[in-house]
Parts: sequence; C-alpha cells; structure tokens
Amino acid sequence: MPYPVFKDNREFIKALEANNDLVTIQQEVDWDLEMGAIVRRVCEKKSASPYFKKIKDYPGFEAFGAPLATYKRLAIAMGMKPDASVPEISDEYVKRTTGEPIKSVFVDKRKASCKENIWLGKDADLFKLPGPMVHDGDGGRYLATWHFVVSKDLDTEFVNWGMYRQMVFDEKTMVGPVLPFSDMGKMFYGKYVPKNKPMPFATVIGCDPLAGVAACAPSPIPEDEFTGMLMGAPVELVKCETNDLYVPAHAEIIIEGDVIPDIRIDEAPFGEYTGYRTSPREPRTVYRVNAITFRNNPIVTVSNMGVPTDEGQLLRSFSLGLEMRKLLESQGIPITGVFMWPESTHHLVVVGVRPAYSGIASQIANLVFGSKLSPWFTMVVVVDDDTDIYNKDEVIHALCTKCHPIRGIRKYEQAPGTPLYPFADPEERKWSRGSQVLFDCTFPLDWPKALIPIKVSFKNVYPKEIQEKVQKNWKSYGFKD
Amino acid sequence: MAKKEYDTFVLTELSQVPEDQEMEMIVRDLTPADRRYKYRSFYATAMVSKSESKYPDLLWVRLGRGQLQEKPWSVKILKEVNKFSY
Ligand SMILES: Cc1cc2nc3c(=O)[nH]c(=O)nc-3n(C[C@H](O)[C@H](O)[C@H](O)COP(=O)(O)O)c2cc1C
Repeated sequence: MPYPVFKDNREFIKALEANNDLVTIQQEVDWDLEMGAIVRRVCEKKSASPYFKKIKDYPGFEAFGAPLATYKRLAIAMGMKPDASVPEISDEYVKRTTGEPIKSVFVDKRKASCKENIWLGKDADLFKLPGPMVHDGDGGRYLATWHFVVSKDLDTEFVNWGMYRQMVFDEKTMVGPVLPFSDMGKMFYGKYVPKNKPMPFATVIGCDPLAGVAACAPSPIPEDEFTGMLMGAPVELVKCETNDLYVPAHAEIIIEGDVIPDIRIDEAPFGEYTGYRTSPREPRTVYRVNAITFRNNPIVTVSNMGVPTDEGQLLRSFSLGLEMRKLLESQGIPITGVFMWPESTHHLVVVGVRPAYSGIASQIANLVFGSKLSPWFTMVVVVDDDTDIYNKDEVIHALCTKCHPIRGIRKYEQAPGTPLYPFADPEERKWSRGSQVLFDCTFPLDWPKALIPIKVSFKNVYPKEIQEKVQKNWKSYGFKD
Repeated sequence: MAKKEYDTFVLTELSQVPEDQEMEMIVRDLTPADRRYKYRSFYATAMVSKSESKYPDLLWVRLGRGQLQEKPWSVKILKEVNKFSY
C-alpha cells in the first residue's frame, strides 16, 4: 500500500509550502556564496527551506536549499503529520524498512521527466548548471551536495546509490572523496581500479525526498528497493542515455559518465559533516561527464554542511542510530531504544537498556564499535531504562552522575576511523585511524539495593495520587505552562 | 586591459614554492569572460613570483583548508595541460 508520500522533488516542495515550511525567494540570488550563505543561516536558525526562483547568470534554473534539515521536514517527507515526534518517525521508519524490499519498475523514456532535455558531447558542460560556491574557501563549486551517485558492481548485478559529494573541476570533470569502506569505494577501488576499467556512474540531483533519505542510509538493502519500502510503492526508473545504469525517472538533473581508474585530482577543502573543514585538499576520485539530462526549469538541491543542523547530520544520525537499533535488537539485547542527536554530528550513540545482567554496556559498545558502521561513531553512552534517550537534559544528567569517571569509561584503540575527525592528529587522519569510548551510565548490578542512589524527580519521589493532584491543579495554582 | 586573476591552493610551506621556474600547478580562473565559468580549474605550466607585479596576471593563494593569504602573487600561465585520455 503506498504511503501518502511524494513522487518527486516538486511535489515535496509544494507540501513544504502547504505546511508553512518554505520561503520562495523571487529576487535574484548569486550562486557565488550568497545562496550558500542563505542555506547556512537557514540551518543554523532552523528556518524554513529556501526555494530560489532566480539564480544570477542562470536564467531558467532554480534551487532548493536545506531540503531535510529538520525532523518536521522528515516527517512531511514520510507522509506523516508535520509535528510527529522523533520516536514516532523512528518507529514508522523501522516498520517500513523491516520486511520485504520493493523492487523498482522501469518506465519508458517518454514518460520520464528527467529526459525533457538532453545534452550530449560538448553540450554536456557542467558550467551550464548553476553549481553553487557553497562556502568561501571551498576547493570549487559543489554541484552535488544533496544527491546520489548510482554505480554497478563489475562482476555482479549489485547496484549502489550513495551520497558522495562532487566538486566541479572543469567542463567535463568532477572530483570527490569516496571513502574506502563505503559501498562505492569497495566497488571502484576493489574491482574496477585493479583492472584499470572506468566505472560508469550517474549522479542524480533533485530526487524525491525519500530516495535522498535512502541514499545516505547505511542499510544493506539496495537503496532503490529501500526507497520503495519507505514509499510503500516501487520507484520508477529509466535507463541512462550513455550507459546501462537506471536512474529515478522524475529527478531534476542526471549527470552521466565514467569514474576514471588511473588518475586522481586535488579536491576540497569543503565544509564537512562534523561542522569543520578537516580533511585537506588532496588527490581524490575523478568523474568524467558524457551526458546531462534534466527536467524543464530544473531545481538544483543545495545542502550546506557546517555546524549543526544540516540534513546530512540529521538524517545520518537518524538512520545510523536506527540501524544500530536493528542490530542490537537482532542480537536480543533488551534495549529500550537508540538515538543519536544530530548536534553530535553522529559521533555519539545513546542506547537505553534494561540492565538485565552485568557487562551489558560493554556488550552494547562491542557490537556498535564492531559493526561495519563503526567509523562513524566515536562515543557510546549507555543509560538505563529510567532515562529518556531523546531528552538531552536527562542524558547529560545520567552521564554526569552515573558514569564513574574511571570505571564507567572504556576506551577502544586502533579502531577504523575517517580522515574527517577534527580531534584526530594529522597522522591519525592520514591513515583514517580512529579511537572510541564507552560511557556506562548504569549502576553496577552487584551493589546492594539499599545502597543504590535514588533519583530525586517529580516522577520518582512522590506518590502517584500526589503527582496526579498536582498535575490536575497546575493551571489553577496559577502556572501558565 | 584589466589583469586576469587566478587562485591556487598551496599545500606545502609557502616558502617552499619555487619562484621564476616553470612548474605544473592547478589554478582556478576567477575572471573568465563568461561568469558561469568562474572557478574553472585547470592544470597549467606556469611561472609564479611572490611579487605582485612581476608577471602579467594576479595569483591569489589559499592554504589547504581554504585560508586566503592577504597579498596576491603574480603568475604567467604558459600553457594549459590536458590530463585526460578519456
Ligand atoms: C550530504 C552527505 C555527503 C556525503 N559525502 C560523502 C563523500 O563525499 N564521500 C563518502 O565516502 N561518503 C560521503 N557521505 C556518506 C555516505 O553517503 C554514506 O556512507 C552512505 O551510506 C553511502 O554509503 P554506502 O553506499 O556504503 O551505503 C556523505 C553523506 C551525506 C549525508
């Protein structure tokens, strides 16, 4: 059964407008820093998404910023009520993505709006698209900041959609980092490069919102089928013009070409998910362009990575946390939930657990840090079921009062990491070496019951009748909240 | 005619950049005739000087994480180098 979701970017923009979560900017805006600065301020103020109708030098092109930088927008994208709570959105996401994957369907080119315009050969010139200069000091114009790259395994039918940023180098060339442990990294550096074969790719800009969610989610399910699960209906795909890959038929812009095996070009710096420019300018993966296809009046999506909260931080925290929830539940650990605050730039995993046996916090940390996704996490905080994992105040209180500064902390060294950690020294960054830490905020089970501190809270130290009476009379006492 | 302006990222100590010698570098065009091509990068054989007036065009310098240096250098672009066989 399809959920009430949006088949493309344009329907989603309309839904944001209907929910007062869109600002349509009619005045001309410059792609050179001004647009980026607006999107950055939107992220920092948690303002409505900007929809740019007029871009300097690029008549006919439009742009859409911060598409999913708040939980409200995520709820709208999921077809839920805009004020759905994070636990509600999380449960819905887990429900939809547990079960049978939904295979995509192929549509005829004549029904695919992404084919309304086709540029081939010399016409396929990246500077004819309004790639923004997102931050002052970036290594180039980043055309692909909220998008995904489609690629196919060399030996199998496995197709990957993943979000890998792309900087415009020249008319025909883009360049960007592809981390070696990512699916595309393993595919390209593990298979194509050793055989010196170019790898066909297609960059999809301005997809429907849930395909974007799927592309940055760490699920083992192929991302097109995962999108279908989130939508409750198959995704419509169409074949590329110059290779055998398939792309969403109603996306705004498709860039087709080859990833080149034998050359790397300097890329970056760029604002990164941690809120810093950490990884240096250095030689990275090269994409050569053969074709560009796009809808009439195409809308480029612009995400501006920087200090929280942008959609990368929000969605990666959301989906990484839920993937950890699935992992821990699959192992039968009695957890009450997993949550990652976007402000932690998905470095901090908060796990709630019923402390059923000794060592449970270490077991949780071993699983989280032992998972494939571990380079994205540096800290696990395990709290008991008395603490609301979604409530920052409660988690900070638990961390500062229940975690023993020596015995409650366990360090994990020699872990895989990323070159993006701001706290890592240059050598650690160079070799993507990580380190991780567990904060165990559960009281040890071997303490005698009488010696366990009692939490002094409204909920905990008053009889139920008194709590109810006070709550009932709250307004009549004169309180306004 | 107004000077053309380029920039480049220097990833070593600035003092290690050789002056007045032909070398290969990546530069970005900051003043193209068609503004849509601003920040187009290319490999060039070029000569640079830390003196702003020595060569015909201006070269702004940025460090590895984008930090712009206050004073521009100058550059003479001898030719664009194509790196791609594809
Ligand atoms: C906005 C955004 C930009 C990203 N850029 C990159 C990138 O440039 N390189 C990279 O390896 N991962 C990047 N990631 C992380 C990947 O998208 C992420 O690991 C994703 O799950 C794709 O990996 P997979 O195909 O291995 O599942 C980015 C994520 C987001 C949300």
